[in-house]
Amino acid sequence: MDETKPFVAVVESDARKAPLRVAFVTRRTSPQVHSTDDAFVMTWPEGILRAAVAVEALAIVLVLLSLFADAPLEGLANPMQTPNPAKAPWYFLGLQELLHYFPPVVAGVLIPTLVIIALVVIPYFNVNIEADGVWLRNRRRRLQIFAVVLLALIVFLMVFEVYAVLAPTLLIGACMLLAARRPIRVSSVQRWLTSRPLSFWIMTWFLLTSSILTAIGTFFRGPGWSWVWPWSA
Amino acid sequence: MSEQKDTRRESFVKLGLGSLAVAGCGATVFGYEFLSPNVLYEPSPIANAGKPDRFPPDSLTADPAAGIYIVHAAEGFYALSATCTHLGCLTAWKPELGIIACPCHGSKFNRQGTKVDGPAPKPLPWLRVWLSDEGDLLVDRSTIIPPNQYVRT
Amino acid sequence: MAKTVAAYWNDLRDTRVMRSIFRGAPGDSSLHGALAVQGNVFLHLASVKIRRRSLAFSATWYLGTLTLATFLMLVVTGVLLMLYYHPSVPQAYADMKDLQFVVSAGLFLRNLHRWSAHAMVLLVFAHMFKVFYRGAYRAPREFNWVVGVILLLVTLFLSYTGYLLPWDQLAFWAITVGSNLISAVPLMGAKIRFLMLGGNSVNANALLRFYVLHCVILPLAAILFIAIHFWRIRKDGGLHTGLQDTLAKESHG
Repeated sequence: MDETKPFVAVVESDARKAPLRVAFVTRRTSPQVHSTDDAFVMTWPEGILRAAVAVEALAIVLVLLSLFADAPLEGLANPMQTPNPAKAPWYFLGLQELLHYFPPVVAGVLIPTLVIIALVVIPYFNVNIEADGVWLRNRRRRLQIFAVVLLALIVFLMVFEVYAVLAPTLLIGACMLLAARRPIRVSSVQRWLTSRPLSFWIMTWFLLTSSILTAIGTFFRGPGWSWVWPWSA
Repeated sequence: MSEQKDTRRESFVKLGLGSLAVAGCGATVFGYEFLSPNVLYEPSPIANAGKPDRFPPDSLTADPAAGIYIVHAAEGFYALSATCTHLGCLTAWKPELGIIACPCHGSKFNRQGTKVDGPAPKPLPWLRVWLSDEGDLLVDRSTIIPPNQYVRT
Repeated sequence: MAKTVAAYWNDLRDTRVMRSIFRGAPGDSSLHGALAVQGNVFLHLASVKIRRRSLAFSATWYLGTLTLATFLMLVVTGVLLMLYYHPSVPQAYADMKDLQFVVSAGLFLRNLHRWSAHAMVLLVFAHMFKVFYRGAYRAPREFNWVVGVILLLVTLFLSYTGYLLPWDQLAFWAITVGSNLISAVPLMGAKIRFLMLGGNSVNANALLRFYVLHCVILPLAAILFIAIHFWRIRKDGGLHTGLQDTLAKESHG
C-alpha cells in the first residue's frame, strides 16, 4: 500500500483541464489515503485463463465422480406401489421435512412463496442496505424488539414442536445477545459479531435452518418418515 | 384538461391499445385452452370390482391397480380411495393392525377412512358404489360421496 | 534449440487463413489482448479489463463462473443423452437401461449429467449466499439480484423436470408428491396441476410435457436470463469489490 500522502489542495485556473476537487472530511473518517486506484488487468489472458483453471478443476472433480459413483436408477415406475420412504431430491428434502410439521398449504405453498418474496425484496429494504452492526444504534429499543420477536418465535416453534428449527433459532439468538454485550470486548470475535448488520443475522439464520432441515430429511428420516439414526440403518 | 374531447390522434392511440389488449386476452385464453388437453388417454374412472360374493362379510379388500379399498361391512358395501389425502402416496392395508397406513409420512386411517394418526388433513374419501345390470360392483373413483352410505346386496 | 509451443502456435496463427478468421495478426500487446475479447462474438460480453481485486479467489470463490460451467456441461451431456432417449412410457425406462449397459460411454454421460445437475443446484445456492454476504446485491445491483433469484427458480425447475425423465420409482413418486403440493395452492392449485401434468395423474402426457420443459423451454429461459445477468454486471460497473462498501461506510456519518 502507498505511504500516506499529505493532503494537498490544488486550484487551477482552467476548470476543464483540472476540475476542482474538494474532499469533505467527516467526523468518522480520516484524510488517510485508502487506496490510490483500482488496479486493472487484461481479461485476456489473465481473467479468462483463471476462469479456465477454475472450470477445469470442477470438471476434473465431476468426471472423477461420474467414473466412480453411479447415479441411482430404481425399478420401473409403478403407480400401484409407493416406495417407503418416498423422498424428494436433496434440495427439496428440507421442504419435505417441514411438511412433517405443517400442513401442505403452509409448508408446501406458503413458506416457499414467502421465502422467494423475501429473497426478491432483499436489495430494496433498508435493513439490508445498512452495513452497520445491528446493536450499534438505538441499542435499548432494538433489544426490546429483539426480545419480543425471539420469544414469539420460540413459543411458536415449541407449540408446533419444530425442534429442528428451534435449535438454530436459539443458537443465533444467543450469538446476537453475545454481540449486544457491553462493553464491547477487545477480543476480535465479539467485535466481529457486534459489527454484523441485521441482514447478516437473518440470512445466517435462514442458511442454518435450511441446512439442518435438509440434513434431517436426508439422513435422519426412514420408512414412514419416522426418525432413524443413520448409523443404525 | 380532462374535459377536453380526445383528439383524433388520441382516439386512435386508445383504439390501438384497446385492440392489442383484446388480442392479448384472446391469445392468453387460446393459449390456456391449447395447453389444457381435451382428450385424456387415461383409464376410465369407473372400476369393476366383480361380483359382491367375492368379498367375505366383514372384510376389507385392497385393489392397488384401481387404487381403492372395497369394504364389506355389516351395513353393506362401500369403497374408499386408497390415495392418501396428504400428498397422494398409495396407502396400504395392514390387517394385523386393523389400519390403513401411508408409507410417506406415517398417516394412519381406520376402516371407515377416518384419520387416526399422522399429517393427513382429511379422511380417506368414500367413493360412489353401485351394482351394474349384470350384478357387478362398480366404483366411480372420480365421485366422492358423504360417508356412511352403503350398498346392500 | 527446439521451437517452443508458443512459437509453433505463432507461426500457425500468422497464416493468411487464421488472420482472416481472427481478424488481425498475432501479438502480445494489450491492444491484441483487447481485440481478443472485443472482437470475439462469444467473449465480447466481457469487459476488456477487469479489476485485479475481482480475480482474487476470496472475492467470489469463482462460484458464478462455476455455475455457468456446470450449466454448459449439462447442456452438452444433455444433448448427447437426448440422442438415445424416447420420452414415452415405458420406453423411457428401457432407454435408461440402454444408456447404462449398451451405449458406449452411456453410463459415464448419464452420471456426469446427474452429478453436474446436483453440483449446479449446490453452486447456485452457494453463489447466492456468497453474493449476499459480500453485499453485492446493494445499489446499483438490486435488479441483478432479482434476475439471480429468477435463475435460481429456473435451475430448481430444470432439476425438477429432469428428475421425472428416467421414469423409475424415484422419479414417479417424487413428481407425484410434488404435483400434489402444487394442487395445495388455493383457488388455482388443481388447475395448475392439471396444466402442468397435461392430465389428472403422472402419465405419458406429464412425461412429454416435462421433457419439453426440461430440454427446450427452461434452457431457453435460462440462457435468456443468464445473458441479462451478465449484461447487468457490465452495466452496474463490473463485479462488486469490497472497496465500494468500505468507502461508502466511511463516508456516511
